[in-house]
Amino acid sequence: MLLNVENITVHYSRLPALRDVSVTVDQGEIVCIVGPNGAGKSTTLLAISGVLNPTSGDITFDGKRINGMAPEMVARAGISQVPEGRHVFTTLNVEENLRIGTSIRRDRSDIEKDFKRVLEIFPVLAERRRQSAGKLSGGEQQMLVIGRALLTSPRIMTIDEPSLGLAPNLVDRVYETLLELRNDRGLTLLIVEQSSERALKAADRLYVLRSGQMQLEGKAADLQDGVKVRQAYFGFEDGAVAADEVVF
Amino acid sequence: MDYIIQTIISALSVGSFYALGALGIGLLFSVLRLINFAHGDFITVGAFALIVPSAAVSATVAIGGLHPVLLIVCIVAIVVTLALISYFIVFQRLQTSSPATMMIVSFALGYTLQNAIVMIYGGRPKAVNLFPELTGQVQLSDGVSVQLLQLVIIAVTWILLIALVLFLKRTKVGVQMRAAAEDFRMARMLGVNGKNVIALAFILSGGLAGIMSLLFVTQTGVLTFRMGVPIMLFFFIATVIGGMGSLVGAVVGGYSVGIVSVVLSAILPEELRGFRDACVFILVIVVLLARPQGIVLTKAAKERV
Repeated sequence: MLLNVENITVHYSRLPALRDVSVTVDQGEIVCIVGPNGAGKSTTLLAISGVLNPTSGDITFDGKRINGMAPEMVARAGISQVPEGRHVFTTLNVEENLRIGTSIRRDRSDIEKDFKRVLEIFPVLAERRRQSAGKLSGGEQQMLVIGRALLTSPRIMTIDEPSLGLAPNLVDRVYETLLELRNDRGLTLLIVEQSSERALKAADRLYVLRSGQMQLEGKAADLQDGVKVRQAYFGFEDGAVAADEVVF
Repeated sequence: MDYIIQTIISALSVGSFYALGALGIGLLFSVLRLINFAHGDFITVGAFALIVPSAAVSATVAIGGLHPVLLIVCIVAIVVTLALISYFIVFQRLQTSSPATMMIVSFALGYTLQNAIVMIYGGRPKAVNLFPELTGQVQLSDGVSVQLLQLVIIAVTWILLIALVLFLKRTKVGVQMRAAAEDFRMARMLGVNGKNVIALAFILSGGLAGIMSLLFVTQTGVLTFRMGVPIMLFFFIATVIGGMGSLVGAVVGGYSVGIVSVVLSAILPEELRGFRDACVFILVIVVLLARPQGIVLTKAAKERV
């Protein structure tokens, strides 16, 4: 098990945002966390990356405890996060944005190799290398932050809502790229997604989070009909009948 | 004509001084959201470090008597050390506090420094004759002569500005600092060491304050424990006018305030000249009514609005 989130509880001041949430990710897996707005998905990722501190529970990465570590130390340990809203540095140009990803690395020759490879994966970034990152379109910014996260040479990448604010065909492109990265480079991915359909297509395993609690966990292959996922997502007790009428 | 050139040089020199001060404040604000009201007192400490610590009426030079290069290095080192100490002892613990809390603490730190100076050096003003060769006049052309120090201040400012720009654009840590200034959390999530970036901002800010104490003492020739207070007010106004959090804004704001106040004292009628600062502050209010975020808009400011 590469990443093990074990029964964490996270509070925003006094209010609990997560209660006893557990998530595991194996090497090379794509795991999705789905759930409605305010379910605690982003909170889970922020707890993993050290921005938020769980009040109880443990997070271990490759056998080492990482909760309580500063965000930069978590990044150094090999977890790279693409947070919600992308967060490109708009005052920096595209290349500088990418170079920030290499802050933690000392392996110069490999950095240049990885840098070239990222520009090959995202040719649009190569074209706009010297442009201010704030001038990129939403899709291009998403490419940029994924490229930037890749340059930290992560063992696992966590991504918060890669589809947010993007046109559907662009979302397809982003997911294609992520799948390629997993298949070609063995990148492990933990993705937060609001659309359960999208998650069922992309993920190996799936978690459904609602109101700060884990509702369901399973292999994507076993959940393809979507019934259980929808029940967990919307929380209807008697399930299928009512939930089937909800279009999403 | 001669008078106009002299006024322009004088305006640029005052503007340069304010720009350097505003930059020292802007650097810390950009990465820490700290408005450091002790910045002026950092300058005071750098100035007092020139003389032997004693409460005697007349000042005895200590570091002030060294070779100029050594003197500059020593004063900059002392103020940088002071800035770093205030980071590690005071502001580091307040990193997660609100900007208001940090600002109030910086006031307290400023008063602590002022009173420490009174305890060590006594409260009386002391005369210091630093770099007397710089206070002479130079002949620019027939009939136009300006104080050499004014040209030195302008030159030093632009050398420091260019060095700072190169540092922020060309070096790895410089780029990291700009990234942290825009989005501190994201920079840390990409592995940028937050503590180092802030410490670096204190070093740069302290270094600027050190240079400024030398320029200031050369100009005034007097040390008083409150010498940093009035100039700090102008630095602060310059950063606000320029746009909090933007370094370009700090420089623009510094020059605006400096140039406006020199031009005002040149054009105001005799009876109003005593109210020059009041006129400057009225203009500040007008500018802020028209552009509450300052002249240069930053992303950080946009988010707050």
